[in-house]
Amino acid sequence: MRRSIIPILALLLTACSPKEPADSVQTGSAPHIFPDYTDVTIPGNIAPTNFLIEEVGQDYVTVLQAGSDRVTIGGNSVRIPFRKWQKLTQSPEIKVTVYVQKEGKWNAYNPFTLTVSDDIDPYISYRIIPVAVESYEKLSIRQRNITNYKEKVIFANTMIQNNVDQTCINCHHYQNWDTDNMMFHVRHYKGGTILVLDGKLHKVNMKTDSTISAGVYPSWHPTHDYIALSNNWTHQSVHAASHDKLEVIDENNDIILYDTRTNTVSPIENDSNELECYPGWSADGRTLYYVSAHYEGEFGPGRETQLFLDRKQLHFNLYSKSFDPETRVWGPKQLLYDAVATDSSMTWPRVSPDGRWMVCCVSTHGIFPLDQIASDFVLFDLKDNTYRYIDEINSQYAESFHCWSSNGKWMLFSTRREDGVHTRLYFSHIDEQGHFSKPMALPQRDPEFNREFLNAFNIPELMKEPVHITPRQFASFISSTEATRSNYEPRKGE
Amino acid sequence: MAKTRWIPPVVLCVLLFFISHEFIYGVEEKSLFVYDLFWLKDFLCKPSGILSCCSMFFIQFLHIPWLGTLIWIILLILSAELTRIVYRIPVSLSALAYIPAAIFVSYNMSVGYAIYLITLQGFFFIPVLGYLWALLTVVVLRKFRNPVRLAILFVIWGFAGYYVAGFYSLAGIVAACVDTMFSDRSRSCRLAALAGTVIPLLLAPVAFLGTTTYNLSNGWIIGLPEKDFGIAPLKMQFPLMLAMALAVIAPMYKFLSRLSSRKAPMIIQTAALALFIAIPSVFWFRDDTFKAESGMIHAANNQEWKEAVDIFEELQSKHADDPTWQPTRVLVLLKDLALIKTGQESERSYSFENGSRMQNNDCIVPMSFQIGKILYLNYGLPGICNRWCSEETVLFGRNYMTYKYQSIIAILFNDTNLSREYLNILKKTLFYRKWAIEQLKLCDNPGLTAQTKPYDTILQLMCYDDIITSDSEGCESFLARHFNGPKPRRATPLYDRVALFFAMDSKDSDLFWARFMAFLDSNPASTVGKYYRQAAYLFSVINKSSTLETLPFDDTTKELFSEFMEKAFKVGNVSLEEARQAFPANLRHTYYFYFYYVNELQMF
Repeated sequence: MRRSIIPILALLLTACSPKEPADSVQTGSAPHIFPDYTDVTIPGNIAPTNFLIEEVGQDYVTVLQAGSDRVTIGGNSVRIPFRKWQKLTQSPEIKVTVYVQKEGKWNAYNPFTLTVSDDIDPYISYRIIPVAVESYEKLSIRQRNITNYKEKVIFANTMIQNNVDQTCINCHHYQNWDTDNMMFHVRHYKGGTILVLDGKLHKVNMKTDSTISAGVYPSWHPTHDYIALSNNWTHQSVHAASHDKLEVIDENNDIILYDTRTNTVSPIENDSNELECYPGWSADGRTLYYVSAHYEGEFGPGRETQLFLDRKQLHFNLYSKSFDPETRVWGPKQLLYDAVATDSSMTWPRVSPDGRWMVCCVSTHGIFPLDQIASDFVLFDLKDNTYRYIDEINSQYAESFHCWSSNGKWMLFSTRREDGVHTRLYFSHIDEQGHFSKPMALPQRDPEFNREFLNAFNIPELMKEPVHITPRQFASFISSTEATRSNYEPRKGE
Repeated sequence: MAKTRWIPPVVLCVLLFFISHEFIYGVEEKSLFVYDLFWLKDFLCKPSGILSCCSMFFIQFLHIPWLGTLIWIILLILSAELTRIVYRIPVSLSALAYIPAAIFVSYNMSVGYAIYLITLQGFFFIPVLGYLWALLTVVVLRKFRNPVRLAILFVIWGFAGYYVAGFYSLAGIVAACVDTMFSDRSRSCRLAALAGTVIPLLLAPVAFLGTTTYNLSNGWIIGLPEKDFGIAPLKMQFPLMLAMALAVIAPMYKFLSRLSSRKAPMIIQTAALALFIAIPSVFWFRDDTFKAESGMIHAANNQEWKEAVDIFEELQSKHADDPTWQPTRVLVLLKDLALIKTGQESERSYSFENGSRMQNNDCIVPMSFQIGKILYLNYGLPGICNRWCSEETVLFGRNYMTYKYQSIIAILFNDTNLSREYLNILKKTLFYRKWAIEQLKLCDNPGLTAQTKPYDTILQLMCYDDIITSDSEGCESFLARHFNGPKPRRATPLYDRVALFFAMDSKDSDLFWARFMAFLDSNPASTVGKYYRQAAYLFSVINKSSTLETLPFDDTTKELFSEFMEKAFKVGNVSLEEARQAFPANLRHTYYFYFYYVNELQMF
């Protein structure tokens, strides 16, 4: 009996496994697939780039070939077996051919290539946020192993907030892609900045009598125990009839330096006629880049309204400032990009680990690239102080927060290119000449994930390792610990 | 006494005819069930998510109110009859088994305005389904007589059940334990049941919530309403806790039939029957304004504007004899929008009563959550509508209406990918599939949008340059500010009509003339309805304007004004209520009456 079952099972399995069509007609065009992985460059250690074939047909076969390794997959939802994928990615190129059966005949689409390139840090973290203006009932900061599809929560606000008091969490950040030194902010109920220093938890309140707010957008110094942060006094308003849904302004901004060892805050820039924001360290930690808009409006009850009215005149220039990490002495500020002259606005400067490149978001005005459809990336070559729009990445929708991989070969960024509203994560490879590859979407097990998951991915960060502190450890610590108030110290230098 | 056995199920069936369809529509529209694994997964990964999911499965049938209600009543009768069978309650005491069902009915029917604030997705069927799960727990755990096996099963069922039904499962485990205590099983069995109950009761919430992102302090009440704005959570939770407590003590009912007095069971049955009828009667939220508001909201969601006006008219006629009656602002705003949509505002708007009566509720429902998205979309402010859809989604969960409105907005902006995302979700629902397929045709042919309802009128009202704004002052004030602001350069005839309507409401003479002239420029003279004429005449008289001679005012307008002023001199400066009593209908239903007597309306 057993002898007869085995061949029957084998026969059934063979019958079910797809075969590459022997006869097919060339369509002469590339297949429509989602996400668009046609001719992209992928990290060597990335999870399988599952995709959906968006061609109408009765049957589908996809053949992935790399050297002598060949994988054939049936159906329009192409889910690549993990072990076979690992073999395929050993080769420098994977050729993908899609066949679609229409009216009984097989059509072969032009093959596309997945170019296998440098590895990338194996983990990323991001905030999952519903697309809303004021409500933040369900926020979570999550980490994903991008060599597979495993996602875990780092911390979620639902773990501590109760029926009355709400908590916002934001701006997670790491020192040098390591999770032993990391931070994120908890706002309102049980609020404070959560710092992990050498694996130990701390909760601080960076708001002092001499600063306008607690710390907001952070940049951790690469070699010393400092974090540069912006202070923001933020408002938002809704567009009545525009593709841009939301307008964000800051009534006031400064930037501060936080010393993690002494719990001390000191101002870096706090000119009352300047709105300074988005600090970003150079690779050696001896220069701080930031943006600032000149605004002379009066402080008072009408300032918010006036700023909204003047929002199109808010052009954020790009500045740099030298810094001696040993003495904490600052040099004078230097204008790097005159946004006023170009009628644009520069935000989120991030320097590559080799110190050669800097990518910023550029838009028509304002401080918040995420909500501006016009937001694009520009690449600065810090070697010769030139810049260019990264046309190979920019889309018709908003490009926003980005970060570099630790080897400087990849950039991870958030973009609304898929539907204009929900921010998704994409990678792009940069070569020696500063050319980026066609962006590729963060692979998901279910290729339709991005179409069905109607929350946004916010502030992506690459990490060399996962966060080891569990969500419940964070929750218990945040619930039970009062934030230690930071000390204030005047700025040194100039 | 056996005859009384049929009273409770018959009463429940009769309820079918008394349940307001308008409320039922509201329950359905604020729910969502998608035939899609991705959507289901979101619920399956959390304790009591399966219960929510099952409830929302049944809620979808409320789209056809009699069908959904019938399912509900069948489940209620099933829960009661199973209680009777499971606990072997004698027929002479059968009404006791129906008391939890009565609590469930009163709980659902007492929700009222809180329907706009309930955060528990699938709240409508959750209690009865949770109760059925608890009964199943008792039945399953009763099967075992071996103490070791019984203890193990209690623990396993306790943990697994918590994942399925949260609070209701914990109540079920306790009920099974009490049932064991009052059974003829051995002492070791009773001890096993007790031990097997304590472990999941204490640890299941910790074990499951330890792997999820919920606040541990809510672990024991998962499946009950948690955070419902302005409503004390305990008020929403207590009835359900009471119903489950009755399930827990039900094993003791059988002792009641053994009471020495022969009359005792009869007295208990009568008392239980009285309770069964009294509980829903006392707590049932009956409010014709709420019913009318719900009906108008449902009509507006379906773009059935004539139906919306009819509902208002019917409510008003019910209160024709009551001079103190006022509509709520929700009713007035929906009626005004419906009149504009049907092109009747110039002929009918002031023929309806006006007012700002407070809603009959003990929680404050922000107007934005109740009708914000209807007003903003249909008045050509899709960005603000989208904002409230988003907030509603975050606070109360996704529902058919937010997807519907957000699909329309995405189509209006020609965001094809986004509209497809929303519509593909609605395509996987039972009753909104057809609508979604119709809208998908617009994604393929965006050129048709401007000729298709409701997009045509919305696009005509989107003729202003984009503004960034906030409706923090309230929906009505915000709309007035929008339409009473500077005239857009690209103003359409419809925009001029709506702006004139808002200008009349503002009673501002200068604004009225500016809007009236713009209206005359863009709309045919034949559309100058009677209330526009009345307003023009009134402002001409007040301002002693030359328009009195230049505009061709008809005799009816002039005569009515004279008649009104004559009466007004007699009546004098009185309150709205007094004026309503003093003025006959033909004078009350004029712009003149609105101008002089409808004052100090409270806007929200």
